Amino acid sequence: MPMTAPTVETAAPAAPAPPTSARRRRRRVPWTAYLALLPLFAVLGVFAYYPAVSGIWHSFSDWQPGFDSPWVGFDNYVAMWHDDLWWQSFRNLGYIFVFQVTIAWALPLLAAELVISLRSERLQFFFRTVLIAPMAFPGVVTVLLWSAMYDPNNGVINRVLQSVGLDSLAHNWTGDPNTALLALLFIGFPFVAGLPFLIFLATLQGIPKEVFEAASLDGANRLRRFWSVDLPLMASQVKLLVFLATIGVLQYGFAAYLLTGGGPDNATQVPVLRMLGVAFQGSQWGYAATLSSALFLITVVLSIVVVFIKRGDKADVKSL
Amino acid sequence: MSSRSETATGGRRRSGQTLVVLALSLIAFIGLFPFLFMLMTSLKTNQQYYATFWRPTLPLRLENYSTAWQQIQPYFVTSLLVAAAAIVGTLLLSTVAAFVFARYEFFGRKALFALVALLLMVPGISSLIPLFVLMRDLGILNTRLVLVIPHVAGGAVLGTLLMKTFVEQIPQALFDAARVDGASGPRMFWSIMLPLSLPVVGTISLVTVIGVWNDFFWPLLTIADNNLRTVSAGLQFFQTQNATEYGPLFAGYALASIPLLLLFLFMSKYFLAGLQGGLPGSGR
Repeated sequence: MPMTAPTVETAAPAAPAPPTSARRRRRRVPWTAYLALLPLFAVLGVFAYYPAVSGIWHSFSDWQPGFDSPWVGFDNYVAMWHDDLWWQSFRNLGYIFVFQVTIAWALPLLAAELVISLRSERLQFFFRTVLIAPMAFPGVVTVLLWSAMYDPNNGVINRVLQSVGLDSLAHNWTGDPNTALLALLFIGFPFVAGLPFLIFLATLQGIPKEVFEAASLDGANRLRRFWSVDLPLMASQVKLLVFLATIGVLQYGFAAYLLTGGGPDNATQVPVLRMLGVAFQGSQWGYAATLSSALFLITVVLSIVVVFIKRGDKADVKSL
Repeated sequence: MSSRSETATGGRRRSGQTLVVLALSLIAFIGLFPFLFMLMTSLKTNQQYYATFWRPTLPLRLENYSTAWQQIQPYFVTSLLVAAAAIVGTLLLSTVAAFVFARYEFFGRKALFALVALLLMVPGISSLIPLFVLMRDLGILNTRLVLVIPHVAGGAVLGTLLMKTFVEQIPQALFDAARVDGASGPRMFWSIMLPLSLPVVGTISLVTVIGVWNDFFWPLLTIADNNLRTVSAGLQFFQTQNATEYGPLFAGYALASIPLLLLFLFMSKYFLAGLQGGLPGSGR
């Protein structure tokens, strides 16, 4: 362990601390500090920084791991520009994003409103726990269970439709290009077990009781209170969630891989799956590196844009 | 939702509350339905499954669980070993680094810390391809080591950030007092900082366990030997092996869920902090 070295630090314990930085003392040669940081930077350098740089570097080449990788300039990026499948996967991602921030947030919001409407705190705690319990299951189990529910022959969903006499609606949900994306989106319905619900609930629980009492004295009913009090007070949390959803959706992939593999007919193709397909089925490593660099660039640009918007809004609030 | 106004009579209030409870129960039931169905079906044979689809039937086929366990037991061993190694590695790197970043002044402190924090911007998925090639060049594909490394590298970044924020809040007086008593840097690290940081240590450990348990693409791509698969990647293989044996299949899913469920039940506070801490910026 490198921690045996910093004993030197005790050399100046009693030295009078400079008034400006009482909590930190200046050392002449802080080798011990650098030495203690060395393991972290060695690991990050080799397994985080090197791959990131190597990915961008090789996106300009016809990458043949283990062999010569000729430099091809922007050829891969030109190919990406003309790759219809790649852009189609972004269109699917757009649908996924819109669905997530509307329907997949409306239900958690409703559930959070219902939970704080409960007068008994024990009931509030009970329902909070039960509602988020599905979060505790591994994501793979959740997706595989939904996949079984969509099964055309013995799936729960078709069985329900048959038992209520709607046989005509029974369907090969994941096998039909028209419904596959919808089937993918509805995994985890009613979407309550997740971060949005926890954030909505925490915000609503944090609103002082007096605010609600004032609203009800002014004659606001429950719906009116929701629009005029609850939603505005939640605005900054919603912005945080939009940020997380934007970044998160770009990494969307594993549910699609398990449920449909991107099919049928690319109806559920997403960028991550396209990238993995190019690398591991097509062995076009250079092109895959291009796609992953593009994905990275899009993530960074979107983060900056969203953070910028967020900051601008905050300044507006302060100036009031 | 009925009115909550002050003038509402007791009766209206009570019926409103009942409605809320009913609505919440319905939502909770739908949310938990796939898992309840899994538990029910995991105790049936295929004949029982086809004959009585919707309700549990006797006898309970507990042997489904032993059948499933035989197949997924190696995945459990791998996942537990990988999670343990990743926790140890992450904590070793991040506690030491956070202590130095939070409690020492030296040239380049801010720049070096920015180099760590910057990595939060790099989504794991976008360095997956070059990381795979690196592991291939190092010749460690298809080993347990290759499963541990990305979790240590990723965990060390988040761990250092969380831990540094926490250590900065420990009162300086504690460290000053220790110094007066002649404590060295490592001694303060070991005897003051670590014991006080146990909540963060717990959070980092849980983030790591959840991350290892749910990680899917990396083990899928780097591991070819069935015995070295983790639970998440192994379950997909397990599913293709048992596609028509519903009892053992769902029993396997249930078994794979147990560790995270136990953590959720007994450490739900840390578990939720872990889930939220795993997301950048959620510290509000």
